[in-house]
Amino acid sequence: MSRTIQIEHLARVEGHGGITVELDGDTVREVRFDIFEGARLLEALLRGRSCEEVAPIVSRICAICSSAHTLTSLKATEDAFGVRVSPQTLLLRDLLYRGESIESHALHLFCLAVPDYLNLPSVTALAAQNPEIVNLGLRLKKLGNLIQETIGGRAIHPVNAVLGGFGRLPGVDQLIALREGLLEGVSDCEKALDLFSSLPPARFCYADTVFAALRPRGGYGYYDGDEVVLLKNGTREVFAASGYRALTNEKAVPHSHAKHSSRAGTPFMVGALPRLTVNFDILDGRAASIVNRLGLWLPSCNPMDNNKAQAAELIADVERALAIIERLLRNGFGDEPRAPVQPKAGTGTAVTEAPRGLLFHSYTYDEEGRIVAADVITPTALNAASIEHHIRCAVEQSAEKDPATLTRKLEMIVRAYDPCISCSVHLLRTRNAG
Amino acid sequence: MSRPTVGIFGLTGCAGDQLVILNCEDQLLDLAGALDIRDFLMASSENDTAGSLDLALVDGAVLSRRDEERLKQIRARSKMLVALGTCAVWGGVAAMDRGLDRAKLLEDVYGEVGGSYDAQPARALHEVVKVELAISGCPVEKQQFLAAVACLLNGDPPLYPDYPLCAECRMRENNCLLIERGELCCGPLTIAGCGARCPEFGVACVGCRGPAGDANVSSAVAMFADRGFPKERIAARLRTFAPAAVEVHS
Repeated sequence: MSRTIQIEHLARVEGHGGITVELDGDTVREVRFDIFEGARLLEALLRGRSCEEVAPIVSRICAICSSAHTLTSLKATEDAFGVRVSPQTLLLRDLLYRGESIESHALHLFCLAVPDYLNLPSVTALAAQNPEIVNLGLRLKKLGNLIQETIGGRAIHPVNAVLGGFGRLPGVDQLIALREGLLEGVSDCEKALDLFSSLPPARFCYADTVFAALRPRGGYGYYDGDEVVLLKNGTREVFAASGYRALTNEKAVPHSHAKHSSRAGTPFMVGALPRLTVNFDILDGRAASIVNRLGLWLPSCNPMDNNKAQAAELIADVERALAIIERLLRNGFGDEPRAPVQPKAGTGTAVTEAPRGLLFHSYTYDEEGRIVAADVITPTALNAASIEHHIRCAVEQSAEKDPATLTRKLEMIVRAYDPCISCSVHLLRTRNAG
Repeated sequence: MSRPTVGIFGLTGCAGDQLVILNCEDQLLDLAGALDIRDFLMASSENDTAGSLDLALVDGAVLSRRDEERLKQIRARSKMLVALGTCAVWGGVAAMDRGLDRAKLLEDVYGEVGGSYDAQPARALHEVVKVELAISGCPVEKQQFLAAVACLLNGDPPLYPDYPLCAECRMRENNCLLIERGELCCGPLTIAGCGARCPEFGVACVGCRGPAGDANVSSAVAMFADRGFPKERIAARLRTFAPAAVEVHS
C-alpha cells in the first residue's frame, strides 16, 4: 500500500520549504525536500554591475547570513583583482564573521531548536515556562549582533565592510566596550554549556555521513583559507577553492528552486558538525574540552548532533572573539588606508564557512570591473541532498507508528541542519548567458 | 488596540525584516506580551493559520502565484496590513530588472527544469492588495519598527520622515561624499530614517530605503551631472532596491 508523509510548511526555519516522503508499504520510494521560496534570479541584477555594487546586492540573498555573503563576495572580488588586504583587516573580518556565527547559532539553538528538546512549540512557549533559558539565548544573540554592529555597521546587511578593507574603523573605545560585553558573555557561555550538555538525547537516525568543510588558515575559523576537505570513511580529499565545481557538482531538480549537490553520487553534509569533524585536529584545548563536555563524539552519524556542534562553536567563539579584540588592542589598533583596488579582467573565487556551512562565490569581471558571470553556491543548497538522505534513513529505521510523532522527528532533523531556504534558492549563475 | 491579534509573515525575500523583529532582544518578551502573536511560522510550530487578525506584518515581495495567493489570504483575514521592508514596499532587489524576460532568466539559472517553476516578476505588496502602512528599509530600522508598534497600540498613525537622507547626514556633521569626495551617493534622493547609516561609515548610500517623496530631484540630478554621473547611471543605481523610485523621481 502506498502512502505519503508530508510536512507542508516547515516551521521555525528561515524561508519556505516542506518535506514529502512517499512509501510503498515500509519501503521508502522517494524523499523530497520541497522548496517553495520564489526565485529572485538575482544574477540578472549582477550582470553588468560594477564591482563595488556586488557585495551590497548579494548580501540581500539572506539576512541571517548577510555578513557571510558580504565577506565572501569581497574575498572573491579581491581574488579576481589580486587585492591583498592588511592583517588588521583580516582580523576584523574574522571578528565580524564570528559575530554573525554567534548571533545565528544563538537564534537557531535557543529560539528554534531548544523548544524541540523540551517538547514545546515555540520560543514564546519556552519563555513562559523557562524565561531564564530564553533570556540567556537573547543575551548571547545580542552579543553577536553587537559585534556585527560595531564592525559591520549594521546587524543585518553590513554596510562597513567594503573592497580593500572597511569604510571606517571602529574606535578603540568601541573595541573596549565590545570586550566588556564579551567578558559578560563568557560567564553566560558557562550556563549555555550546562544547558546544552543536559538536553535529552535525540537520535532518530543513524547514517553514514560524508562531511565537507573549509580547512581554515590560522586556527579554527570561518573566513580565511582556500581549501575544502571532503571526509569520507576516514579518507580526506582536498579541493582548491578555484576547483569548487568538482565538489559541488550541482543539478537542477523539478521540486525545488535549490540545486542539489553530490560527490560521486554520494550526498555530503556541510555545517557546524562537518566543520568540527574535519578540523578536530586543529581545535585548541579549550574548544576540544567544550566538545567533550557536550558529549559530542566525533565523527558522529547522527545529524541531530549538528545542534551540539553549533553549541560548541557558539561557546568557543565568544572566547575567540575576545582573544581577537585583545590581540587588536595589543597590536596597536589604528587607522589605516584600504588596500588599493584596481579592477582587471579575470575570475575570482572564494570559499568561507557561513554559519550553516560552505559558501562559494565566484565572479568573472571584464577589464573595467563589471560582472560578466557570477556563481553563488550556498550551504543549504549543498545540504539539500544530504537532508533527503537523512530523512530517508530516519523513516527506514523508525519503528514509530504514530504519524504525528514521526513527522515531528523528521522536522527536528531538518531543523538540526538549520536550513536557510532564502539562501538555498537564490543561487546565482550567469555563464555568458547573453 | 488592546493586545491586538497579530500575524507575522514572509513572502519571497531574505527574511531580514522578520529577523529585525527577532533582533529586538531587549523588547522581544515585552512585544510578545503586548501583542497576541497568533501566526509566525518562522518562530513557532503552533500557528492559527486562518483566524482573523487585527494586524498583519508582511515582509518580502510577491514573486510567485503562491506568494500572491498567500498575500490575498493574509489580506482577507487582517484588519490592517503593514508592508515591512523595502521588498514589501517597493519590490526590492528582485524587482530591479523586471522588464527582462523571466522565462529566459529561469533557463539561464536552472537550465531546462526552470521552465516548470512558479515564478513571476517581483511586485510590491500594494500592487496586489491594499496596504495600510508602509515601513521601508533594507532591512527596516529597529527603532522605526518599534515606534510603529507603539503608535498602533495607542491608536495613533506612526509618522516617518519623507525628506532625504542628506538632512540626517548633515545633522551628524559628516563630510559630504558626493560634493567633497565625488562619490555616487544616493542620499539626496533616498528617504531618511536610518540616521545616514552608510555615509556615517564613509560609504556612499546605495538607496536601500527607497525614494524620498520630498526630494529636490532636479537639483540632485544637476549635482550628479556636475560630477560626471549621467542620469541613466543614477536611475540604474536607484532601481537596485526600488524600481519605482525612478518613476517617483521623474
